[in-house]
Amino acid sequence: MRKEVIIKFIGYILLFNAVFLMLSAAISFLYSETSAIPLLFSGLICTIFGIFPFIFVESHDDISFSEGLVIVVGGWIIACTIGMLPYIMWGGEFSLINAWFESVSGFTTTGSTVLIDIEGIPKGLQFWRSSTHWIGGVGVITFVLLILPHSTSSRFTLLNAEMGELSKLNFRYKARKIVHILIIVYVGLTVTQTILLTLAGMSIFDAINHSFSTIATGGFSTKNLSIAGFNSPVIETIIMFFMILSGIHFGLLYGTLTFKSENIFKSPVVRAFLAIIGIGIVLVSAKLYISGIYSFWDSIRYGAFQVIALSSTTGFATADSAHWPAFTHIILIYFTIQCAMVGSTSGGLKFDRIYLFFKSVKKQLKLLQHPRAIVAIKINGRPVSEQLEALTLVFIVLYIFTFFVTTLILTFLDVDLFTAFSASITTIGNVGPGFGEVSSLSNFSSLPSFGKFVLTLNMLLGRLEIFNIIALLMIRKVNN
Amino acid sequence: MIKSLKIKILAGFMLLSTLLVVAGTVSVIEFLKLSRSVNALIEDNYKTIEATKTMLEALERNDSGILMYLLGEKEEGRKIIRSSEVDFARALKTAKNNITETNEKEHVDEIENRYNLLQSKLLLTLNEQHNIKAINWYHDEVYQSFIAVKHSINDLMGLNQNSMYNEATILKDKSHRAIMPGIVAIVGSLIFSMILSFFISKYYILPLSSLSDAIRTFHPHEKQLRSNLKSEDEIKKIENEVNNLITRLVKLQEPKN
Repeated sequence: MRKEVIIKFIGYILLFNAVFLMLSAAISFLYSETSAIPLLFSGLICTIFGIFPFIFVESHDDISFSEGLVIVVGGWIIACTIGMLPYIMWGGEFSLINAWFESVSGFTTTGSTVLIDIEGIPKGLQFWRSSTHWIGGVGVITFVLLILPHSTSSRFTLLNAEMGELSKLNFRYKARKIVHILIIVYVGLTVTQTILLTLAGMSIFDAINHSFSTIATGGFSTKNLSIAGFNSPVIETIIMFFMILSGIHFGLLYGTLTFKSENIFKSPVVRAFLAIIGIGIVLVSAKLYISGIYSFWDSIRYGAFQVIALSSTTGFATADSAHWPAFTHIILIYFTIQCAMVGSTSGGLKFDRIYLFFKSVKKQLKLLQHPRAIVAIKINGRPVSEQLEALTLVFIVLYIFTFFVTTLILTFLDVDLFTAFSASITTIGNVGPGFGEVSSLSNFSSLPSFGKFVLTLNMLLGRLEIFNIIALLMIRKVNN
Repeated sequence: MIKSLKIKILAGFMLLSTLLVVAGTVSVIEFLKLSRSVNALIEDNYKTIEATKTMLEALERNDSGILMYLLGEKEEGRKIIRSSEVDFARALKTAKNNITETNEKEHVDEIENRYNLLQSKLLLTLNEQHNIKAINWYHDEVYQSFIAVKHSINDLMGLNQNSMYNEATILKDKSHRAIMPGIVAIVGSLIFSMILSFFISKYYILPLSSLSDAIRTFHPHEKQLRSNLKSEDEIKKIENEVNNLITRLVKLQEPKN
């Protein structure tokens, strides 16, 4: 493994982060805020470390898969480390562990926060928080792939390491085209939502921040009360619409916009995804109305928003679901586990794996009836290999095992069971809010420091996919 | 792409220096801000708090002076009243010239107005020839005004004390912001030095070893060194020069026709 090549590629990631740090510093200078110098200094450090490898390392046309894996995993960890610098330098509520938590939560688009007073932090830092979502949403390496002057093989290797096998099913293009599609859809959705939110009465600053957060399926808001702080049904509707879009495979969104045969209307996975969200909204809203918590329309308004926010893994809030009936909690926990579709900006288990799991169960039932039959599973009309099917099942088991272990650790630290369980599934699913002490309008500040650290590992596992981390560890073992 | 090894290493150290200079500058700026805040704390609030203390003391002495006057110690009483008036006026002037907080001017004006009212009532007391009448007048009129002035002074003191407390809280954050660039620069420099030493080892030490090995294992029947150097830097130039030397030596050894 060529360390110098890895350092150079991580340099690209740092330079990309530096652009957003400088933008955040400019905002802070504009508002004469105390965060201006911490942001500027962090930006300069990022630039220095980013430029440094370019002095020594010459261009390389090829990258091995193991190098690609280290670049992607290392890139995420370095981005999270650099991302915490402005927080820790600014101070306030940001202790070392809080800064790390906020940075990892931002880049992995989890959206869980440790901040009690979000409105109390400078606008520059608020913009940086949202930027970490936006950079992490499409993957820290994806923007780099767009500007990478290297050969197609490098791009292909890095894209393979960044994207899961399953998400490539709806991308029948070359690596360069896939990157272009991702960026076009990503930027297009962000710009459109910003315009619509501004027209709906949000300030341009809030509109940009919330669009960054929505399209990345993050969940950081500039308000202490999240979207509830705006108390506007129009804003909520716009955000709901874009949360759903951001949870759908970007290749299918691109196909729909360009009138391709592979579009959201023809995809059975999208239909199933939307149908389950619909059922969830009906069940939650009905229970809220029957329990007399809200009026009929408010039950639909708050129920729909919360279901969409969790099923898309965005995690915004318009109401404190902690005080809702237990039945709604079960449904919302299901959506926290399910997550959104592969090929979107969401992390976690992903709906496609659950879809594939049920298809696999159906296949096994058929095989029990007809042991000699040849049954193939198809997703969007394409056959799924048995290897991918097996990998998906193993992934689900590992996923459940991981959040079980995290729950165990948190309960060892005297966190109550419901809080520990929901904090574990919400962080590994990169969703954001949980229940109990970490509910939708609350935060993670009350958790013990070690618990916060464990949850950040969960977030990284959820975003990087467990297999990438295992593969990375295997590389080390093979090398040893 | 920089080809010269000398410039590469120099550029590496330049970047490291930039990191340290920037960290130092940021720390200095933050410490200057901190020092300015401490000065402001002393100038803005502490001065006024001291002035209010002087005013309260002068007011108490003024009161004692009147009582002494009314009890027959007229000369001593007058002396105390006069000196307390001078002290009060001086302290009030300090407070007037040091208005830094919101609503502070209103508080100072209120003290001045109430004090003037007290003074006018005192004048009437001192001019009253009948002692019993004067004592009654003091109890009914002067004492209320005296309490009112004290209230106003205490309000001004409270305003400045609150502001001082808030400023002290901000100072804690400012000192944090002054220290952090230094810590980040130390950690950053350590990481930077490690990466730089890796690059120096990779692009300077290893090629030199490779060249040295190639020279050591050079066999007379070979016409070129086998070092596998791919760079175009100074070490490659040495290799080229050694190869030229070998060619020249081979030519010298060849029998002349």
